[in-house]
Amino acid sequence: MSAARRPDADAKVRGAVEFGTDLSADGMWWGALVLAPVPHGTIRAVDLSAARAIPSVVAVGAADLPRLLGGAAGDPDRPAFPGQEVVYRSQPVAAVAAESLSLAREAARAVRVEVEERSAVADLEAVFPEWPGPEAARSPHVAAHVLARHGDVDRELGGAETVVAETYRTAGVHQVALEPHACLAEIRDGRWTVRTSTQSPFGVREDVASILGIAEGSVDVEGTWVGGGFGGKGASLLEPYALLLAKEAGRPVRLALTYREEFLLGRSTLPLVARLETGVRGGRIVARRVRLLLDVGTSLPGRDFATGYSIGFLLGPYRTETFEVEGFAVRTNKPPFGPHRAPIAPQAAFVAESHLSAVARAIGADPDEFRATHLWSEGGTTNLGQRVGPFGLAAALASARARAADWRKHKPPGHGVGVGLGFWSTNTGAGGEARLTLNERELVIEQGEREIGSGSVLVGLAAVASRRTGVPAERVRVDYRGTTEAPFDSGVYGSRTVGALGRAVDEAAVGLLAELGRRLGTPAPVTLTLQDGAIAVRFGQEVRPLPPLLTPEERSGAGLVGAGRHYGQAAEIDASRVVDGTFYPYQDFTGAAHVAEVDVDTLTGAVRVVRYAAFHDAGVVLDPAAARAQVEGGVAMGLGTALTEEALWSDDGRLLNAGLLDYRIPTLGEVPPVEVTFLEGYAGAGPFGAKGLGEPPIIPVPATVAAALADAVGVHPTELPLSPERVARIVKAARPSGGTDAAHPG
Amino acid sequence: MTPVELVAPATETEALEELARGPAGSRAIVAGGTDLLFDLQGARPGPTHLVSLRRLPWRTHAWEAGGLRVGATEPLRTLEADPRLGQELPALAQAIAAVGSPALRRQATLGGNLGRSAPASDLAPALLALDAEVELVGRAGARRMSVDRFLRSSRSTALLAGELVRSVRLPEARPRSAYLWQRVRPANDISQIGLAVAFAPSPGLWRVALGGVPPRPVLAPDAARELAGDRPAAREIASAAERLAAHPALVSDRRATEEHRRRLAAVLCTRAIRTAVGEPRDPP
Ligand SMILES: Cc1cc2nc3c(=O)[nH]c(=O)nc-3n(C[C@H](O)[C@H](O)[C@H](O)COP(=O)(O)OP(=O)(O)OC[C@H]3O[C@@H](n4cnc5c(N)ncnc54)[C@H](O)[C@@H]3O)c2cc1C
Repeated sequence: MSAARRPDADAKVRGAVEFGTDLSADGMWWGALVLAPVPHGTIRAVDLSAARAIPSVVAVGAADLPRLLGGAAGDPDRPAFPGQEVVYRSQPVAAVAAESLSLAREAARAVRVEVEERSAVADLEAVFPEWPGPEAARSPHVAAHVLARHGDVDRELGGAETVVAETYRTAGVHQVALEPHACLAEIRDGRWTVRTSTQSPFGVREDVASILGIAEGSVDVEGTWVGGGFGGKGASLLEPYALLLAKEAGRPVRLALTYREEFLLGRSTLPLVARLETGVRGGRIVARRVRLLLDVGTSLPGRDFATGYSIGFLLGPYRTETFEVEGFAVRTNKPPFGPHRAPIAPQAAFVAESHLSAVARAIGADPDEFRATHLWSEGGTTNLGQRVGPFGLAAALASARARAADWRKHKPPGHGVGVGLGFWSTNTGAGGEARLTLNERELVIEQGEREIGSGSVLVGLAAVASRRTGVPAERVRVDYRGTTEAPFDSGVYGSRTVGALGRAVDEAAVGLLAELGRRLGTPAPVTLTLQDGAIAVRFGQEVRPLPPLLTPEERSGAGLVGAGRHYGQAAEIDASRVVDGTFYPYQDFTGAAHVAEVDVDTLTGAVRVVRYAAFHDAGVVLDPAAARAQVEGGVAMGLGTALTEEALWSDDGRLLNAGLLDYRIPTLGEVPPVEVTFLEGYAGAGPFGAKGLGEPPIIPVPATVAAALADAVGVHPTELPLSPERVARIVKAARPSGGTDAAHPG
Repeated sequence: MTPVELVAPATETEALEELARGPAGSRAIVAGGTDLLFDLQGARPGPTHLVSLRRLPWRTHAWEAGGLRVGATEPLRTLEADPRLGQELPALAQAIAAVGSPALRRQATLGGNLGRSAPASDLAPALLALDAEVELVGRAGARRMSVDRFLRSSRSTALLAGELVRSVRLPEARPRSAYLWQRVRPANDISQIGLAVAFAPSPGLWRVALGGVPPRPVLAPDAARELAGDRPAAREIASAAERLAAHPALVSDRRATEEHRRRLAAVLCTRAIRTAVGEPRDPP
């Protein structure tokens, strides 16, 4: 299939699309949030009177909720504004709106917030100075606990020839979408209406209804174009505040975060600590124990998904008969945990891959050979007993090893080459629906998701419909509708858009073709084609114009309509291995092996990635250009997680680098050319065998860079990111003589 | 940020008159604006007028009497494009190339860099090591002083109210000079350490200057004194590096710990001197 030009490219280049931050309306007021000044404390007063005394200003706080919501209580666990207790610094405690943004900011400053400060814990490891045992599952500091095991780990470790035990730490990372959160709310005919930049309009509708305690049916959400999500815009954030302000002001209110606020109260991925123990006998792993403390900030109990989902990535795609995994979602006084492109998987893959290499080196084995011998095999099972579907990871690893061997032959001194693996699962379990309408001019996909930049909606869904029906992609139009009109869909996350919503589109397309076949009275397969510039119907050798096959209503505008839905079925895991908590099965098996070559300055610790290759199993690739772009972007983003991105939290819950100056995403200067290869032949659960590709490309990156670094300096890192200072420290620790030993040609 | 008026006087006299108008603090000087617009966001109350220097005839640079004079509003990118700079004042050329990104350097100026007086300025260490002088102009007339006297502290200079930096003068070519820096991220980041070295032929002495340190970049005469002649011996370079690593200005902040800064100071000192004299960066 030829790489079609992005249908949104023109409008975006011209600045003609409306992002959340472009929203405005006649008579609109501007909102601003009042943020908690301390990380933890008892609210004594939120005094709005000085703000309200300013003309053309409204202010709302916890005390106003019953009045504004007609007595509705909302979810007591997550009220729009806290009534009694502040649990993280920068938690919104009130909101104001005014005629201008500067007036709104002035009014926000006029709100007097009195909080009696209580002791706060922001450091994950300060919550549990000793590693917690299973009894800590009931601690108020634990939002979730997961434990799974098989066999007798202690006995196997006791009988092992070599046991490697290590502790790893990774930093928190922000999504850093270019466009901050922004929305415009209005109460229209008694309906709570909000236009917002989101990865999930239906998710926002559900959240808003639950937070405000109102009926979902009274909420209308319309997505704007999204200037990047990366997981940060999957749930509601500003919409409840904006709606409350609109209700109070009796006019539209626009609320957007400043970029500083984006850092302070956006939901980011937080630090983790992992401990791993692996026993080897006769060159094979005989037992593994993996323990995880994941900082989930003030995530509510029962709302953590990351621990039970991500802990599997700490075991990596490597099978061990005897294992134990235990994870704690630990509450700290930080904003609630938020997903960041493949939540925790890049960090977990860094841990799993680095540890596996350490184990291999401990027994004198080649790490990549050791990987290959322990890899899951297609048709085998995961550690949790789930059957492994078609999976090209072994082939990807073989390609990566060949490339690494080639690069090693030519590398100058001071350089290192490393391989890293990552796997993922397309979230085809979350459901979605779509409607197709066909006329002579175009095939229209009506659906409820906005394009977030990856192309999965505009390019991906169109590619599915085009491939199924034969209508050229440029005659397929993806039409967006708000929650009131659109068929339901779960959201643009979990790499699921093409894999799951695409299945609904495909089903609708199949239905359309079947209906045409019925009308033609032919048992032959029907497809569509272009004839004299019009969409026409082809069956066997024959091509027929479309209009005669349509009813008068269909001809006069409605078009021929087909509907599709896809609600995936969860795969099975072996429940007998689960002791506590929720583990999630994978829906699909997708993965990649990456290779990096780095140049390490052993004296300053600076690491430069000089070349990079990515080998991906993405199932059947529907649009090569879009797929390649996903991999390039994912690698760039992963280099940030690997090298420079690090949220710096003080012990008392203050984010020290809330801005792009000191929170460093890669610039183009830090991103080397990325060679992308797709290994086809491993069909996934998506349409035509596609697998999701939004998240997988970021996953192997930190592991790969760390492996290359280890190759260059002879010691492997156990912390992320690999900032120059950390690298200089580990190099120095490994070579106590330090200083002048490292010859480094210019 | 409240609305401000932008004025762009065409002559020096008009500019100085404009600066004298209104209450103190009501006029802010803007050259490229790359620092100023950022700083204004937090300013309350901010200035009521921005006095732009873009129409003044200062966007020039000229080689004269063995040295270089740079107009205060000359964009860094223009200066950088002059091939003589890299030959005669490599430390300055390397420092300019270190600033932000090419796009930023089209806008940013030398006068603005000095006017902001940032502890992590990349240009200041090079200017210190090259013995640069600033020429200031005010309604009372012009005066000159060394960059070392001009820079006081972070955001604080010897400029009096109503005064402008008119030009910067580099007194002589110093082909044996170099500027090196270290950052967490190479592009568009703030230097953890900046290090300039230059050999001044006439007295036959070295200058070493350190940036990325509070409250302002400084000369490090103790380190410089270890170096003799235009080709210092390895032993001398090692002593200079050791001296520099002990410099009291090297402290911890969120960009680097003291330990790392001291290590970087020693490594960059060695490399900068070796680079300045045309040897490979690291000893074999
Ligand atoms: C993304 C980014 C990256 C950057 N990277 C670097 C870097 O790597 N290294 C570095 O050193 N700097 C860096 N900077 C800072 C800045 O760009 C430089 O300091 C630049 O040289 C400032 O010049 P300007 O003309 O833009 O100054 P302006 O912003 O116009 O002015 C800065 C200050 O100087 C005053 N001023 C300007 N001109 C005069 C004058 N003629 N007389 C008296 N006062 C004057 C202004 O009033 C203001 O207070 C960066 C800035 C940004 C935004």
